[in-house]
Amino acid sequence: MNISTTKLFAAQIYWNTLKNKALRVLLGIVALLIIYAAFSGALIYQEQTQTRQHYQHEVRTNWEKMPDKHPHRMAHYGYIVFRPKHLLSVFDYGMESFTGNAVFLEAHRQNSANFSEAGFSTGMLRFGEISMSMILQVLVPLVIFFIGFGAIATDRENGTLKMLLSQGATWKEILTGKAIGLLGIAVSVLLFAVVVLLVACLGIAGSQINGDDILRIGTVLLTYTLYFSIICLLTVIISAVSRTAKFSLVILIGIWLTAVVIFPRTAQAIGNFLYHTPSRIAFEAAVEKDLIKKGDSHNPDDPYYKALKDSVLKAYHVQSVDELPFNYGGFQMKEGERLSADIYNQHLAGLLGIYQQQNNVLRLSAIVNPFTALRNLSMAVSGTDFQSYTGFQQQAETYRYALAQHMNDLQIKYISNKKPDDHDHPPSISKAHWKEFPDFAYQRASLGTVMYHELWSLLALLCWTAGLLLLIKLLSNKLKAI
Amino acid sequence: MTVLSAEQLSKQYNGTLALNNLNLSVDKGEVFCLLGQNGAGKTTTINLFLGFTAASSGKAMINGIEVHPNDSSTRQFVAYIPEIVQLYGNLNGIENLDFFSRLAGFKYAGAQLSSFLLKAGLQETAHRRSLSTYSKGMRQKVGIAIALAKNADVILMDEPTSGLDPKATDEFTRICKELAADGKAIFMATHDIFNAVNVGARIGIMKQGSLVHTLHSNEITANELQQLYLETI
Repeated sequence: MNISTTKLFAAQIYWNTLKNKALRVLLGIVALLIIYAAFSGALIYQEQTQTRQHYQHEVRTNWEKMPDKHPHRMAHYGYIVFRPKHLLSVFDYGMESFTGNAVFLEAHRQNSANFSEAGFSTGMLRFGEISMSMILQVLVPLVIFFIGFGAIATDRENGTLKMLLSQGATWKEILTGKAIGLLGIAVSVLLFAVVVLLVACLGIAGSQINGDDILRIGTVLLTYTLYFSIICLLTVIISAVSRTAKFSLVILIGIWLTAVVIFPRTAQAIGNFLYHTPSRIAFEAAVEKDLIKKGDSHNPDDPYYKALKDSVLKAYHVQSVDELPFNYGGFQMKEGERLSADIYNQHLAGLLGIYQQQNNVLRLSAIVNPFTALRNLSMAVSGTDFQSYTGFQQQAETYRYALAQHMNDLQIKYISNKKPDDHDHPPSISKAHWKEFPDFAYQRASLGTVMYHELWSLLALLCWTAGLLLLIKLLSNKLKAI
Repeated sequence: MTVLSAEQLSKQYNGTLALNNLNLSVDKGEVFCLLGQNGAGKTTTINLFLGFTAASSGKAMINGIEVHPNDSSTRQFVAYIPEIVQLYGNLNGIENLDFFSRLAGFKYAGAQLSSFLLKAGLQETAHRRSLSTYSKGMRQKVGIAIALAKNADVILMDEPTSGLDPKATDEFTRICKELAADGKAIFMATHDIFNAVNVGARIGIMKQGSLVHTLHSNEITANELQQLYLETI
């Protein structure tokens, strides 16, 4: 393959596109949409981050300001934790708008995350948001298809292809060169988007941008370049095997519709059909049923807790809980919390397993649909995927459990076993203890962990690129000018 | 000196014989015109010389080298002018010529490119105009300029005067004669009997894939050729 001939074809399609007024307008619209998406994404990030930080601070302040109290009352007073947005959510909103942002944490109860953006909208969100990722994943391929559908088919139709070949150009040079030219256009749009993203990130986070954020932006650049390579290779292959440019366009739009609209929804529906999730009511009822089976820590006559009490009294050689050297109520609550958390976690693990199986159907479908592969990767890198959401839920539950058990420990240690008289103050401990328990700090998964989870998607993109390059090699010996 | 030859060249498409045992040769500086109805095998012959399709049997040779499909080794000696030279409408004449010359491995300065276009008969005022504003005749001239810039030994033309007005056809004929005088071998498939007599040194008449007659143009008038052609097809 002659490199200079390949470069000639690449340059021809690249500069011809930029010379074409209609295509310039089209690319201009895409650029404006990118700027708008970055601006609105940054605005959403800023507003929501400020709101969440404000209320997280308020929750903490209120917690620390609580007066002397019984620790179990504090455990029921509860705590609210908020899911911080990832800086790259400016780029890819992912599931952010549909997943909850805040969880109310209290003793004995595992609440789910509430207050999603979709929950506070008119429902129009279902019709889609304009994010930078959506433009790059959905619109740019369509633009590439419009630019490239006739790359070879038009030359074939008007006889120019025969002239190209008669001048000594080979099929491999034509296919590769035109694909590189198209990729040049796509990567130019991508680089523009990355620059706009960097400006937006610097504008809202400034010096807070860290190495991980830069690495993630680099990963976005790499994965989207792979995706665009697939789109461009596919475009020239379809154009080369099509008898007419019109047929090529119809096929490419069909591919776009299937990959972007039909296939992801079908894969999701198949996942839901194969792995059915219980309704929220059914899930909570099942947890409640198991909890009742195990025992009620608030009921002194409950058989499980009565047996527990008897064993403790026996171990301490005492007749009543009043004689124990610690607060038995707190001890019982701690055991109750442990049991209820165990039961809930078992049910939650089952539910998350079903979600995982559903997502696996979609993830596996990435091997036949590079759009799904890129979408998964993009959301994961931007910290807006389902894994990030469940990660937050699990960390919130860990924090809730630790908080409830800490309050139980305080009760065991500081609250007397003797019941107060009617004229006594209710039992309480110093408010200084509230500060002892640290605030919730969400730990994000590292980029390495994220990429490990999305290895399949990355492999799918690499396989698609390698497969199409191989197809170009094979087609170069099979294609005919006539 | 023979630069283009066919030896018992045949081509079948799905059992249908498109070209049957063709034997011909074109010498340096000679114009060979091939007449025949649509589907007679003219374009198939050109496609075989260009290596766009494989021969079912026999050989197509250029400069003594056998042509093989998708093997570009013989294409360095060949230039091709189709019935309609479309090229790239958003580029001007110079840019189109530059692009196609570079494909063939030639990099010319602007003045040289202009001189090729002038030699092909394209007025200088048109050189920097977008090709989308060109007439068919003007596009054909850019096609000739591409052949000139490539300095090809053989020029294959597939009905190049189809759709040209008489003046443009006459100009095209003149240029072809100049090219032949410069030593180029021209193989032209055409329906234009009068032009064939005018420009061709030899004329072949093809029927259903077979070369039925080969005549020297100085042995026959246009009217006689027309009569023979009508009797043959």
